[in-house]
Amino acid sequence: MKGLYNAIVDLKAGRRTPEDVAKTALATGFAVSILLVLMFPVYWVVTASLSGGSTLLTSDGVFADPTGYNLEAYRTVLGGDRFWSALQNSLVVVFVTVSVTITLAVPGAYALSRRKFIGKSNVLYGYVLFTQVGAGLSIAVLVALYALFVEFGVNNNLLVLGLFYAGGAIPFNTWLLKLFMDNIPVSYEEAAIVDGASQWQVMREIILPLAKPGLAVVLVFAFLAGWNEFIVAQTLLSPGNETLSIELYGLATGSRHSTPWTEFAAFAILFALPVALIYFFAQSYVESGLSFGGMEG
Amino acid sequence: MGVFPSGRSTTELVDDLNLETRDLIGWLLVAPGLLLFSMFMIYPIAMLIYISLTDATTAGSVVSGETSVVGFDNYVELLTDWQFWNSMSITWLYLALSLVLKVILAIGLAMVLTHERVKGKRYMRAIVIIPMGFPPIFTISVWRAMFSGARFGPMNEFLSMYNGAVTSVAGLVDTIVFFTTVNAPQFLLADVPVGFLSSRWTAFAAYVTTEVWLAYPFMVIIIVSALQDVPGELQDAAKVDGAGFFHRFVNVTFPSIKGPVIFASILTAATSFQNFLIPWVLNQGGPARQNELILVYGYREAIIENQFALASSIMTIAIIIIGMFMLLAVKKTNIAEGAA
Repeated sequence: MKGLYNAIVDLKAGRRTPEDVAKTALATGFAVSILLVLMFPVYWVVTASLSGGSTLLTSDGVFADPTGYNLEAYRTVLGGDRFWSALQNSLVVVFVTVSVTITLAVPGAYALSRRKFIGKSNVLYGYVLFTQVGAGLSIAVLVALYALFVEFGVNNNLLVLGLFYAGGAIPFNTWLLKLFMDNIPVSYEEAAIVDGASQWQVMREIILPLAKPGLAVVLVFAFLAGWNEFIVAQTLLSPGNETLSIELYGLATGSRHSTPWTEFAAFAILFALPVALIYFFAQSYVESGLSFGGMEG
Repeated sequence: MGVFPSGRSTTELVDDLNLETRDLIGWLLVAPGLLLFSMFMIYPIAMLIYISLTDATTAGSVVSGETSVVGFDNYVELLTDWQFWNSMSITWLYLALSLVLKVILAIGLAMVLTHERVKGKRYMRAIVIIPMGFPPIFTISVWRAMFSGARFGPMNEFLSMYNGAVTSVAGLVDTIVFFTTVNAPQFLLADVPVGFLSSRWTAFAAYVTTEVWLAYPFMVIIIVSALQDVPGELQDAAKVDGAGFFHRFVNVTFPSIKGPVIFASILTAATSFQNFLIPWVLNQGGPARQNELILVYGYREAIIENQFALASSIMTIAIIIIGMFMLLAVKKTNIAEGAA
């Protein structure tokens, strides 16, 4: 708005020609219209979630009347049992994933950052290789794991599922944390040891507090690994043990019961909201975490 | 500092000071994580390779030991199977097409979002990367709704609007041209509702659209930061020399963003190759198994068709290709610099 005001003032004073201002306005308008088209799915899901019981699906097309917005769809989703039991299951899985990942990644990262041992570079290289792989590998190995899990009767187990996600999250998070720890000067530890600190104390009172930003990033990634995953959960868990992502899929495909889009949209937003919030608040953290990986090119 | 108990022997101190001597502790600290990771990733890969050499069918037969080793029979069967080659081709086509579209869209967006004439670029950059902040299953199920075959699905609504526009233009022409009746030509009108996900190529187009929407923000971020490093003087000098937009793009802009674009392309190509969720959520690789990307193909053969041995050989081939992508990414991007 201030830019607009300045432009008008500049125009009046003759500092800018009308042609110049028009070009800027045109370019900006072009950029804005591209963004509007790109963001349509986001707009649609928000509108749909707010149009419970109204005209969205009958005649007015995709641009529902904002005066008819209401929270009915959210009330339906939050008033039912399914959302809450799925949330509970998701939280169990996420809790296991996060706590196991942190407990195992911290000592591993410390050893890789500070210790010298046989095979260290091999472990590190292997971990780095596996940071490059998406969810595809876990689907490929799912074929073998499925047979095993079914045989041992642990397929329908939220704790085992959380453990599985943690196993997949170990390489990336250990490596990330190692990079954070590499930036902590060794002289701090040496000073503490001269003061008589034990190895354990060095780790607890020097390394952990200084690696806090790194721990926060690992926490976020481990949370996402457990919260977002769908297909492994869908394959392993039986009805009654659904996580949020499974319920969302059920609503989207109408396989369970045919649901109005308004409810699907409300459920989807409730599911995505924590992730989006974490992402936008932790963006600078996550980005600094990614830049460690040379991902800025 | 007083926090730590003092009074340790000199040799202990020297030992502790030399932080890099103790092999055993290092291993003990790494071992638990490595073990868990191996249990759920390395061991299953080994098992997958083994299963692919047997004649296992159901999940029960895999572990019961009632199977016999048949060597490379599964691979031979696979390589002569039309279904496998169909899946491979559609996977690579999906990868290539979505990559080209992503690169074009991302370069275009990045150039708009770094253009001097565009105001409010900072906010726009924050908005343009929004798709990155959602869980993939959320994004993909929203796109499934977009492409819904229902009469009031968003894409069908747009087609109706388009039909309406064509018809009203025809009506306008009809009133102007008074001596004859002008109707909207049929070939310009879409036959609404279109069942996007129930015919092969429209479903494939829906996959590619979803993939592009999921992956473009990552590319935009990388290209924007590369474009910001392009020296302005270079552009100005080219302008003074009378170079047009096209020449400036080919000779100044593109060479300076080539590296980052290749880097981002390798990473996103690797994830496209192993995409499972998009085909699965949109229509389970359908219609009639025509659009099964390689992982969907392997998954279905195992979990639904109970062909674990065959599925394992599919997955083994997929893992080999994924592994090559991993090596390529690490080699090309110097990501493992610190590991050596």
